[in-house]
Amino acid sequence: MTHPHPHPPPLTPDAAYWAARMDSGEWSAQDEAALRQWLGDDKARHAELLETQACWMMLDQAEPVAETLPSPLWRRRRFLAAAAAGVAAMVGAARFWPRGQSFATRTGEIRRVPLNDGSVMMINSGSELAVEMSAHARNIELARGEAWFQVAKDATRPFVVAAGDVRAKAVGTAFAVRLREGGVEVNVTEGVVQTWGMGHDSAPTRLTAGERVLVTQNAVVFLDRGGDGSTEQALAWRNGMIDLSGHTLAEAAAEFNRYNTLQIVVNDPRVAGERMAGIFRIDDPRGFIAALRDGFALQVDNSQPGEVRITAKENGRS
Amino acid sequence: MEDRLARARWVRQHVFPHDLQMRNWFRKRGISEDDINEAMQEAYYRIAKLDEVEPIANPGAYFFSIARNFAIQRLKQLPVVPFETLSEMDSAHLGMESPIDETVHIRLSYDKVRAMIAALPERCRAIVELRKVENWSQKEIAQHFGITEKAVEKQVWLGIRAVREAWRKGESAGEARLEAIERRGMKR
Repeated sequence: MTHPHPHPPPLTPDAAYWAARMDSGEWSAQDEAALRQWLGDDKARHAELLETQACWMMLDQAEPVAETLPSPLWRRRRFLAAAAAGVAAMVGAARFWPRGQSFATRTGEIRRVPLNDGSVMMINSGSELAVEMSAHARNIELARGEAWFQVAKDATRPFVVAAGDVRAKAVGTAFAVRLREGGVEVNVTEGVVQTWGMGHDSAPTRLTAGERVLVTQNAVVFLDRGGDGSTEQALAWRNGMIDLSGHTLAEAAAEFNRYNTLQIVVNDPRVAGERMAGIFRIDDPRGFIAALRDGFALQVDNSQPGEVRITAKENGRS
Repeated sequence: MEDRLARARWVRQHVFPHDLQMRNWFRKRGISEDDINEAMQEAYYRIAKLDEVEPIANPGAYFFSIARNFAIQRLKQLPVVPFETLSEMDSAHLGMESPIDETVHIRLSYDKVRAMIAALPERCRAIVELRKVENWSQKEIAQHFGITEKAVEKQVWLGIRAVREAWRKGESAGEARLEAIERRGMKR
């Protein structure tokens, strides 16, 4: 048997030294004091010691264990109260929490959020929703705005989006739900979705890819029967775009206003009904306005801050 | 010491296995090595300084968000940043490709660790193996070889340095690199 060398070369203490020292199991008050002195306020040393010890522990014979399952709610609450220092960082981490998460987007913000079941959601501008995952169900509650869901297949856990009194249920599919005035729009891009209103007496309506409906208090109204690409058009926001083909100027302005603090005001009935065409960047209302000015006989009034008024061009009329 | 060891065990369990993945994630987004090191350092430091870590529901995500936020702050201080980099970093916490959800990777790294032990200088390897594989204490190893505990501790020290360095060099290191580390370790 080869004997270890009794006199290894002298080294100045480094993180590995302290890790080896602690690894011996012998640790005196002097050791602790010396370590504290070595650490001081040195960020790099604090970090390096922890990394080195963890690295050394990687060699332990015990099998590596995967991330433990999520802790119950109360632990998170306690944590939020306890670790003020980490709160800012937790915002980013929030999506990894599997239960009772809520999300809100500001005007102009579009967020893509992976859920822990493998599903992905994209939350449109100015929206608010809550996600609740359990062993038997995946529930989303849309409180405001719109979101699109790509649902991971899991037959044992139906994926249900609630928006007001309207429900849309999927097993493995992709669809969007949008809260509008007068109802909830459900837009299916893949697979099959069942939707119903809580107040409806009839059976759920079965929607397939390409179909878009408005679910109102007491009815399901088909907006699209599919096949013309308009469901994709309505979801252009996922790519940061607005597809205005076929919209009126008033509708187009409302669309832009959803995403931007700059508000486009169209009160002039002479132009409000003009039909638009084209695809625009969501975050570029000025580009849209410039295109309007070039393409139509419109007057653009920038005199109010945060607001652009569009009217018919007075001197353009004969 | 127990507190320090407990904290290290927690990091070993939840964070460290993802260390390389997180660094690669930053690298792929064009973050400089210095900034990556600093971001990761910041996160380890913050973890070291926390009063308690047990309530953290998802340590990997928690850790990653500290590092990512730090890197974003860094990027914002640069005079010129490609817009895509920033927006991707910002939206990245929404996960296009989260660097920390791969248990598979933990296994791979673990296997590599075993290879690392095998590649250590002979006397160092013998002690590290007894300590880690057989789970003997440093004291038991000293008795077994009839040497002082200090001598064992020094071999462990060298072993930790070598393993740490090999780890840092990344898993692609291969035999050649481990040999280089071995040679350097011998010289010291």
